[in-house]
Amino acid sequence: MEETKPKLKLAVYWAAACGGCCVSVLDVHEKLFDIISAADLVFWPIALDTKYHDVEKMPDGYIDITLFNGAIRNTENEEMAKLLRKKSKILVAYGSCAHLGGIPGLANFTTKDEIFKRVYFESESVVNEKNLIPVPEYKAEEGTLFLPSFYNDVRALSQVTEPDYYLPGCPPQSERLLEVFKAIVSGAELPPKGSVIGAETKTQCDECIRKKTENKRIKKFYRPWEIKDDGITCFMEQGVLCMGPATRAGCGYRCIKGNAPCRGCYGPPPGVPDPGAKMMSAVASIIDEKDPEGINKILEDLADPAGTFYRFSLPVSLIRRKIL
Amino acid sequence: MENLRIGVYICMCGTNIAKIVDVEAVAKFASEVPEVVLAKSYKYMCSNPGQEMIIQDIKENNLNRIVVAACSPNMHERTFRSALRIAGLNQYLLEMANIREQCSWVHSDPVEATEKAKALVNAAISRVKLHEELESVSARMCPNVLVIGGGIAGMTAALELADAGNTVYLVEKENHLGGNLARVDLTAPYLYSARDLLTERITRINNNKNIKVFLSSKVTSLTGYIGNFRAVIQNLVSIQEGKTRDTEVEIGNVIVCTGYKEFDASRIVHYGYGKLPNVITSFEFEKMLRAGRIETKEGKTPKYVAIIHCVGSRSQEFHSYCSRVCCMTALKYAHEIKSAIPDCYVSDIYIDMHAFGKGHEDFYRSSSQAKTLFLMYEKGDRPVIHKAGPKDDCGMLIEVNEKLSGETIEIPADLVILMVGMEAREDAYEVARIVNISQDKEGWFIESHPKLEPVATTTDGVFIAGTCVAPKDIPDTVAQARAAAARILARIAKEKIEIDALYSEVNPNLCSGCRLCNLLCPYSAIEFLEDKKQSHIISALCKGCGVCVAACPSSAIKGRHFTDQQILAQVEGLLAEKL
Ligand SMILES: Cc1cc2nc3c(=O)[nH]c(=O)nc-3n(C[C@H](O)[C@H](O)[C@H](O)COP(=O)(O)OP(=O)(O)OC[C@H]3O[C@@H](n4cnc5c(N)ncnc54)[C@H](O)[C@@H]3O)c2cc1C
Ligand code: SF4
Ligand code: SF4
Ligand code: SF4
Ligand code: SF4
Ligand code: SF4
Ligand code: SF4
Repeated sequence: MEETKPKLKLAVYWAAACGGCCVSVLDVHEKLFDIISAADLVFWPIALDTKYHDVEKMPDGYIDITLFNGAIRNTENEEMAKLLRKKSKILVAYGSCAHLGGIPGLANFTTKDEIFKRVYFESESVVNEKNLIPVPEYKAEEGTLFLPSFYNDVRALSQVTEPDYYLPGCPPQSERLLEVFKAIVSGAELPPKGSVIGAETKTQCDECIRKKTENKRIKKFYRPWEIKDDGITCFMEQGVLCMGPATRAGCGYRCIKGNAPCRGCYGPPPGVPDPGAKMMSAVASIIDEKDPEGINKILEDLADPAGTFYRFSLPVSLIRRKIL
Repeated sequence: MENLRIGVYICMCGTNIAKIVDVEAVAKFASEVPEVVLAKSYKYMCSNPGQEMIIQDIKENNLNRIVVAACSPNMHERTFRSALRIAGLNQYLLEMANIREQCSWVHSDPVEATEKAKALVNAAISRVKLHEELESVSARMCPNVLVIGGGIAGMTAALELADAGNTVYLVEKENHLGGNLARVDLTAPYLYSARDLLTERITRINNNKNIKVFLSSKVTSLTGYIGNFRAVIQNLVSIQEGKTRDTEVEIGNVIVCTGYKEFDASRIVHYGYGKLPNVITSFEFEKMLRAGRIETKEGKTPKYVAIIHCVGSRSQEFHSYCSRVCCMTALKYAHEIKSAIPDCYVSDIYIDMHAFGKGHEDFYRSSSQAKTLFLMYEKGDRPVIHKAGPKDDCGMLIEVNEKLSGETIEIPADLVILMVGMEAREDAYEVARIVNISQDKEGWFIESHPKLEPVATTTDGVFIAGTCVAPKDIPDTVAQARAAAARILARIAKEKIEIDALYSEVNPNLCSGCRLCNLLCPYSAIEFLEDKKQSHIISALCKGCGVCVAACPSSAIKGRHFTDQQILAQVEGLLAEKL
């Protein structure tokens, strides 16, 4: 590749993340060399030993692109989100956690106190005889020590700062990252700020090649292991809840190809403010029973409805968290 | 986007609203909401001066959104929409806040009621900002009509429509026209010959070039929507021969006149129908009358004839309804037997004598004078028929718990006529499914309103007439057939059909073809386009009920005038903190 343009400066950061998103950047395999030849990685905690104060020293707008993954769980996450916003020309909410709150966002079904109680006192693997609990500030002989404070709510990146783009997925499909990256490097015209990139506007069912008929009526729900999947028929028509109808296409329906129903990581299509509510309303419409008791019986087989419908999107949904 | 200029009107409804809600305070509150140009209260907004005020204000202040806080939109939405139209504004740029039924009428605390009225007005203001101009669309009205069933109802409707110059496809599954009436001899109460009635109709139909009769045929599919249906008519004879001869026709409206079938008397084992040779049904007796010979199976002239009413009707076990024609038919039989065999003893065993129609009571009186023995039995009870002994001078004996005398009476009979009731045909379900109409628990087709819309159905363009709706006699059947034809003629005269603007539509840029919505529409308005692999709503069929809008998981379906954004804005307006 000829060096005509100055190299881009690229950063990848993880907040409340599992690490999967950072690994997905490596998943581009040998194409990583293309990235490195077009961009210098200036900050990437999983791979480089750059410190936070190095980032603080960078001039504003110094970084061309930051791929920010992970949700906002504590003060450190929020500070870094705001810092990287300032230092970056393009801030991308990368992956479901940054985009929607993601898996960590399911913690909004409980509270900080309940989480601490479970983790520091009740967990089967914990021995905590002195009943210690982390505190954000501790005065030691050497001086005051600080820990980030843990919030009651998990938030998505857009709830603490303004990302330019959202690249969905848990984690995003590596090919889509490459496409987006190439588009930025090539200087092509970028979509309007606030857009979801690297995904389609229609939902999974548009691409999914499983056979669909008009008969979507559900008499009984099954968990995937309870049926013998024929590998051909739409999961919903086999009574297995598939989030595909309420989830943006773009991953190449990769779970369905692997004979598992879609769990919804690519998030809602445009115009759907609350994918969980939308999917619940859809499912309610196709339950094939009129008698209230019969309906309850059918619904009993739907395992963990809240976690299923809101698996990736609770913090950005209309309900946002458990209230009572 | 255009500049919003909102006018808000608070109605006092005389004192209906004003006695609880401080309308001045609500108007003052509204006038301070951004983009509200003016807010006024008035004694009766729906009165002419009230509407005139809106029209004037729209013209003078260039208002482009109107909120009227008054009674239920069910009451006066039309009134205010028409005011907008007169002022040259699209009628859908109006929103009503119901501060009467949902506020002043149900609250007694004026302070709280006023706060609630403000919230309702604020919700309406938030919503009206997102209202869009909507236009109703019109579709072609094809003047051809499909009539299913060639009984007296179907034939009458066909003639009415064809005489006005329209093409009618008349489909009859038997190999002749006439239906059940072709099995009847004289008709009650005036004793006109059924044959004469039918011959007149059939001859006129055969001579009418506008009527295409399909005998031994059935309709196998109906697609499209009012004004623009397509039907497939299948020839049943060719099917038996292993071929198919289908005819496809274009029509604008359909009348279903598939009639009834008689109750199967062998279901009541006590009467011995099918075992005792001289227990026959009314239809079998009609056959004797038509042949001009009343006789027993053995070929003898009966000395005693008994007629039993309500066979299969007015019973918890079979049909709870009254079949409406059998009482008068029974009297007709008494009359005909007496004139054919003057010394024959006729007994008439009934529950109540239902003689409600025109001329029926007179007919009842004249029959009673013809020396018929009337015996009344209790609803829920049943006369018992035995074979007579060798010493009796009759074939059978009937035991009746006579209600008026309170005694058990035994009467002789050589011939017993069972007045079998009417019931829905076995294939009524199939017909209902093909033309997309509903059936009640007894299988009769359901009208869209039992009092005000007796021949229309919930599917626009599909009408029902005659005994397929419920048991009835010939005059009522004919009246319904003519009513359905008149409804259609009025529509054909307009040439076009107006389709309400409040339908839902699928956005092809968002529909993924998941097919989740496909079977949900109560009006069958959703079709799946195989070539595009997407769903589509036929706007002429859609009633804007919103079922599919709520179901579509991709929000690809937009309910016009009820968009998510409009509803959410309304909710936000209602819950806004600073009021
Ligand atoms: C014993 C008896 C005596 C009666 N006497 C009198 C009387 O004296 N006076 C009086 O006013 N009323 C009388 N009635 C009532 C009278 O018979 C009815 O009011 C009248 O026949 C109803 O006509 P219709 O066209 O609605 O139905 P029908 O006569 O049942 O005609 C329906 C037609 O539709 C056809 N059809 C059905 N299904 C289909 C299909 N799927 N496709 C195509 N074609 C189909 C049938 O073959 C039939 O030809 C009597 C009834 C009975 C039972
Ligand atoms: S989006 Fe998925 S892969 Fe990425 S950090 Fe969150 S949980 Fe991990
Ligand atoms: S519901 Fe799931 S399995 Fe069915 S078509 Fe959609 S994505 Fe495929
Ligand atoms: S199929 Fe669904 S859950 Fe699986 S990767 Fe794609 S969007 Fe995510
Ligand atoms: S018309 Fe008379 S015989 Fe017929 S069901 Fe009604 S009451 Fe009984
Ligand atoms: S809005 Fe109602 S009537 Fe219209 S297509 Fe949807 S379900 Fe059918
Ligand atoms: S439910 Fe929505 S996305 Fe699915 S087929 Fe119907 S319109 Fe299309």
